[in-house]
Amino acid sequence: MSSKRISKELNDLRKDPITSFSAGPVGDDLFHWQASIMGPPDSPYAGGVFFLSIHFPTDYPFKPPKISFTTKIYHPNINANGNICLDILKDQWSPALTLSKVLLSICSLLTDANPDDPLVPEIAHIYKTDRSKYETTAREWTKKFAV
Amino acid sequence: MPSISVKLVAAESLYKRDVFRSPDPFAVLTIDGYQTKSTSAAKKTLNPYWNETFKFDDINENSVLTIQVFDQKKFKKKDQGFLGVVNIRVGDVLGHLDEDGRSAREETITRDLKRSNDGMAVSGRLIVVLSKQPSSSRSHSSTTTTTTTNATIPGTQQPVPGAITNAQTANRSANPTAQAVESTLQSGAIAQANNAAVSSSPNTPNNTRQYSSFEDQYGRLPPGWERRTDNFGRTYYVDHNTRTTTWKRPALDQTEAERGTQLNANTELERRQHRGRTLPGSNSTDNSGISVQVNNTAATPAVNGTAAAAFAATGATTSGLGELPSGWEQRFTPEGRAYFVDHNTRTTTWVDPRRQQYIRTYGPTNTTIQQQPVSQLGPLPSGWEMRLTNTARVYFVDHNTKTTTWDDPRLPSSLDQNVPQYKRDFRRKVIYFRSQPALRILPGQCHIKVRRKNIFEDAYQEIMRQTPEDLKKRLMIKFDGEEGLDYGGVSREFFFLLSHEMFNPFYCLFEYSAHDNYTIQINPNSAINPEHLNYFKFIGRVVGLGVFHRRFLDAFFVGALYKMMLRKKVVLQDMEGVDADVHNSLNWTLENSIDGVLDLTFSADDERFGEVVTVDLKENGRDIEVTDENKKEYIELYTQWKIVDRVQEQFKAFMDGFNELIPEDLVTVFDERELELLIGGIAEIDIEDWKKHTDYRGYQESDEVIQWFWKCVTEWDNEQKARLLQFTTGTSRIPVNGFKDLQGSDGPRRFTIEKAGEVQQLPKSHTCFNRVDLPPYADYESLRQKLTLAVEETIGFGQE
Repeated sequence: MSSKRISKELNDLRKDPITSFSAGPVGDDLFHWQASIMGPPDSPYAGGVFFLSIHFPTDYPFKPPKISFTTKIYHPNINANGNICLDILKDQWSPALTLSKVLLSICSLLTDANPDDPLVPEIAHIYKTDRSKYETTAREWTKKFAV
Repeated sequence: MPSISVKLVAAESLYKRDVFRSPDPFAVLTIDGYQTKSTSAAKKTLNPYWNETFKFDDINENSVLTIQVFDQKKFKKKDQGFLGVVNIRVGDVLGHLDEDGRSAREETITRDLKRSNDGMAVSGRLIVVLSKQPSSSRSHSSTTTTTTTNATIPGTQQPVPGAITNAQTANRSANPTAQAVESTLQSGAIAQANNAAVSSSPNTPNNTRQYSSFEDQYGRLPPGWERRTDNFGRTYYVDHNTRTTTWKRPALDQTEAERGTQLNANTELERRQHRGRTLPGSNSTDNSGISVQVNNTAATPAVNGTAAAAFAATGATTSGLGELPSGWEQRFTPEGRAYFVDHNTRTTTWVDPRRQQYIRTYGPTNTTIQQQPVSQLGPLPSGWEMRLTNTARVYFVDHNTKTTTWDDPRLPSSLDQNVPQYKRDFRRKVIYFRSQPALRILPGQCHIKVRRKNIFEDAYQEIMRQTPEDLKKRLMIKFDGEEGLDYGGVSREFFFLLSHEMFNPFYCLFEYSAHDNYTIQINPNSAINPEHLNYFKFIGRVVGLGVFHRRFLDAFFVGALYKMMLRKKVVLQDMEGVDADVHNSLNWTLENSIDGVLDLTFSADDERFGEVVTVDLKENGRDIEVTDENKKEYIELYTQWKIVDRVQEQFKAFMDGFNELIPEDLVTVFDERELELLIGGIAEIDIEDWKKHTDYRGYQESDEVIQWFWKCVTEWDNEQKARLLQFTTGTSRIPVNGFKDLQGSDGPRRFTIEKAGEVQQLPKSHTCFNRVDLPPYADYESLRQKLTLAVEETIGFGQE
C-alpha cells in the first residue's frame, strides 16, 4: 500500500520538479529518501543548501514521514539533532498531505519561524527580542555549514 | 609500532543452545592470529558482562582482531560450545594509526556475532571499546564515535527490531575525505546513502552532528547505558548494567549507586501501588495493612455469601460434557467465540446447552422456586442481561433502554415492583465468576520455587512443567534463600516481579503502545525469539494463574487486547489506544472523499526484520483500488490486520495458556474494561493528587461545575474512580509518580476538563489527550447522573 503511494509521489515529483527543493530515494530503498532545500531568498538562509533525511513508515500515508535536517541550521523550530517542530509532521498530519506539501511547509518555516512553539527556546527568545542578532547568527551558520 | 587496548564490555542475547541451561560464556581475543588473550567465564547467562581490558602491541591498521565466544561448560566438546565470532579490522574502527601517536582515540562498537564454518546457529552481539592511548601529553581531547553494525539478525532483546537508531549512520565528520556532493545536487539527483547524509560539503567538516548511541546533545551517557529509538521514533535508554529500560535519560552526575537507589525507590513505589490493588467482592484476608474497601457496606460478607451460594447452586460450568443434545450444533463467530445453534427451534444462544444452567423464578406467592433450564428458553434478546438481587431473586437488565425488570423478556409479563435500580455491577459479576466450580481451588498444593534474580526463567520452568490441574491447587511460592510461608504476600510479590520481567519490552515479546508509554501490546516481531510461542503460552498461563488465585499483575494492556481475549470484534475506535496517528488518519479517510487523493489498495506493507512485505487484506487485495464506496470495508480490514492478524499466532498461544486456567465462556461475563480490572486490580486513587494535576479549558477550578465534578468523583468508590480513569485515559493505570506523569500519545499530557457539549448530552472523552468534555450542567444531581452513566455505560454503547 505505502510503496505504491510513495512511487506515485516520486513519479509526480519527476514529472513536475519543484524549484525550491529536490527529493528522491537513497539507493534503491523506496522508504528512505533524501531531500535538499534551497534557503529561501528572502530569509537569512538564502544561498544555503540544506539536506534532509526522510523515512517513510510502512503505514504511510496513515502516519507522517519522519523528516530531519542533516545540515546544521540555526532556527527556533529545528534543534541540534535536526528534528523539526512542525504541526503537520505530528498531530496535524493528514493522509491527504504529500511529501512535497510537507517540504514546501518546511521551506516556509525557514522564511517564517514560529517562535511561539519553539523547539529551541534560546533561539526563539533571541528571535523575538533581537531579530537582527538572530538573522546575523542564522546567516553565519548558513555560510559555515550550508554553502 | 602503536599499541591499542581492547575492552570487552559485554555480549548480549547469546544463542540459547540448551533449553534448561544457560552457558558460562567466555571470550578469546586474538590479534592477527598470534597475540591471544581470554576473559574469565561469566556464569549461567546469555548476557555476560566481562568488562575486561587487554593491551595489544605492534598493531597496524590492517591488524585484525578476532573475538570468539565459547561456553566454558562445553569447551572440551567437539564444537567447544562455540557461541559466535566477530572479526574487526582495527583500521576500520580507529582509522589511521598515526605514527607520532599524538591523538587519543576511543571507539565503542557493537558487532553482531557471526557463525563459523560449521554453520551452527548464533545470535547476539558484542560490545567492545577499542582505544589507542596518546604517547604524548599534548593530546587532543578524545573524539568518540560509534559504529553500530546494522543487525542482520538483531539480538533478541533489542526491544524493537527494525528500529532506526541514530547510530546506524556513523559520524565520519572528523574524516575530511568525505565526498563532495555538490555535483549530485546540481544534477538534481540524490546522493548515495551515507556520504551525503553525513557531510554535505567538504569545506564544512563539522556541519552535522550524528550522535552515537552512547551519547547525545547533553554529552556521553554513563557507562553501560545505550540510547535507542523504538518503532514509533521514541527515544529510550537501555541500562546494560541492570538490564532495564527507561524513558528517562540517566543523569551523568549520579553515581551507579545513586541510580540503583533511585531505581529501587521507584520499584518500591510500584510495589506499594500494586499491593494496594483490590477487587470488589473479594473479601480476601490479604489486605496487607492497606484497606481500600471503604465503600462496601457492613453487610457485604453476608450478601456475598448468599449470592454466591445461589449462583453456585444454579450454575455448573464445566463445558465439553459429552455430546450436544440432538439437533444442536456448536459454531464460532469470526472472532472465535463459541455459540450454539438449536436447529429444532432455529434459535442461537451463547449458552452451552450441556451446561445445565437453570434460572430460578419465584412463583406468584414468592414461596416456591421454579427452575427452568436457560437453554430451553433460548437466548435473551440482544442487549439484555440476567442478574440476581442479593436475595437471589432473578431480574433482567435491558441495556438498550437502560431499564430493569423482574420479567424475563422471553416469558409473558408480570407486575413490576421494587425492581433494583439499573446499574452495571462489576462486583456481582466478580462474585458470580468466583463462585463457578471451574474456578475453585483444588485440594493439594502447587509449589513454585524461584530465584529472585532469575524469576522469568525459573517461573517458566516451574509453571510449564506442571499440569493446569496442578496449577489450580493452593499456590505456595518460595523465593530461593528466603524464609517465609506464602500466606499471600509472597505470591503477590511473585506476580509483581514476574509481570515486570515478562512484559518488559527488553525481551521483545511485548512492546509499549504508541498511545502512551506504559500500556503494552504483543510485539508483532516477537518471532525474533525462536521460542516466542512457548513464552506466550507461559505468559497466558501466568495471567490465568493470577486471575485464578486472585493475584494481580502489574501490567496494563491496550484496550484492544482485552477485547480480543473476550473474542470481541476489534473496531476502528480500538485503534485509538494502539496508534493514535493511524486512528486519526483512518477517521479522516472515513470522513473525507478519498477519490484521487489517497491511492490505496486492499493491502498493507509490513516491515519484517528490515524487509518490507506487502500483505493482501483480501484476495488479490493489492490489485483492488480503495474507493469512497468500499473504504468502510478497507478500514475494517486494515484495523483487523493491524491489531489482530499481525499477532495472531502469539495471541493464540497466549490464549491457549490462559484458557488452561480460566475457561473461555466464564470470562465473557466481563466487558473489556472489567477484564482489565480483573487482571490488574483496582488501585486506590489519590483524588487530591489527581485534582492538583488537572488542567481546565473553558472552566476555572473555582467554577461550580468543577467543584461538583470533584465532589462526585470523591464520593465514588475505587471501582468507579478506576472506570473514570479508563473512560478518560483508556487505562486504569496510574503513573507511578502520580498524575503529574500522565502520558498522552504525544508525550506528557495532564488530565484536562474542557467545557464542551450541551447540557442534555453525556460527557465525552478523548483518550488520546486524557481529556473529558464536560457540558456545563445546571446542578449537581444532573452532573452526577450524566457522569455516572457516561463512565459506566459508554462501553459497547457508542461513545459519541
